[in-house]
Amino acid sequence: MTKEEIAIKLKDKFGSELEILETNQPEAYVYISPARYHELCQFLKEAPEFDFDYLFQLGGVHYPEDRFELVLCFSSHERRHNMILKVKLDKDNPQIVTTSDIWMAANWYEREAAELFGIKFVGHPDPRHLLLDDDWDSGYPLRKGWTGPDFISMPEK
Amino acid sequence: MGVIEKVPAYIERIPGGGIVTTSMDWVLNESRASSMWYMLFGLACCAIEMMATGASRYDFDRFGMIFRASPRQSDLMFVAGTVTHKMAKRVKVLHEQMAEPRYVIAMGGCACNGGPFYYDCYSVLKGIDKVIPVDVYIPGCPPRPESLMQGCIKLQEKIKREKLSDWASDRPMPDRTIV
Repeated sequence: MTKEEIAIKLKDKFGSELEILETNQPEAYVYISPARYHELCQFLKEAPEFDFDYLFQLGGVHYPEDRFELVLCFSSHERRHNMILKVKLDKDNPQIVTTSDIWMAANWYEREAAELFGIKFVGHPDPRHLLLDDDWDSGYPLRKGWTGPDFISMPEK
Repeated sequence: MGVIEKVPAYIERIPGGGIVTTSMDWVLNESRASSMWYMLFGLACCAIEMMATGASRYDFDRFGMIFRASPRQSDLMFVAGTVTHKMAKRVKVLHEQMAEPRYVIAMGGCACNGGPFYYDCYSVLKGIDKVIPVDVYIPGCPPRPESLMQGCIKLQEKIKREKLSDWASDRPMPDRTIV
């Protein structure tokens, strides 16, 4: 499906909870409200016309002014189309339901986003650290403005 | 041949009755310096350069250096590559598992002081000397095999300056060398 077809079909089903971003990229960029995030993911995976069976990236973004964002990129082996899904999360208490029950790949991606951004994934089956040490207690290093014990920031030119 | 020619000259230069002690130093140091077995251990891209140095084109065997796949049998550890905080603990354990006397060469910018990861990095240790003592530092990103071999020659020179009494007492070892 082209990105326009994906956008129209999703807009029909999810209405005002879903926002289509206008970009010049080849993939559809979609914002979804956190309340219907899991439902949309389930739909994208299981609906035969979408068939997004391959989650190849899940990451966090920190906008220190007002929000966190979760960015999911997936594609379909069968239908050969891609899509980017974004969710806006709360600034102080970023929290979202896990999608590791839909895509197994999400398990490790979510562990990574959890330890580096402090995003809480409700219902995650294995919420341990993935890359950081088990006894890491210096906060969430990929948040803007983070400093740690021997962290040295680049001096101003 | 070179070694045989050096020995009598060296003894003749020693005045008085200290021949046995100094000779033991010489014999031990010469044999240690000529067979530094290094641990089969690499952390990042510098390890590729270390492998190239160990292979036939540059040929570490000329120094009597071959790799051992066990810290228990190694004399020398190349810290070849980026040391993350997570890995630093493992490197420290490996260093402790090596038998004394043991030597460490910090290879490349990352192992010397963090290198390209010095600024704005949460995960990389800023120099392996914060965790284990280092004998020779080799800068470069990565150092060429020639630099690595020069580092080993510097380490051999350092080993040849050592005395048995250094090990018997708690006297600090000779200073660090920067190639």
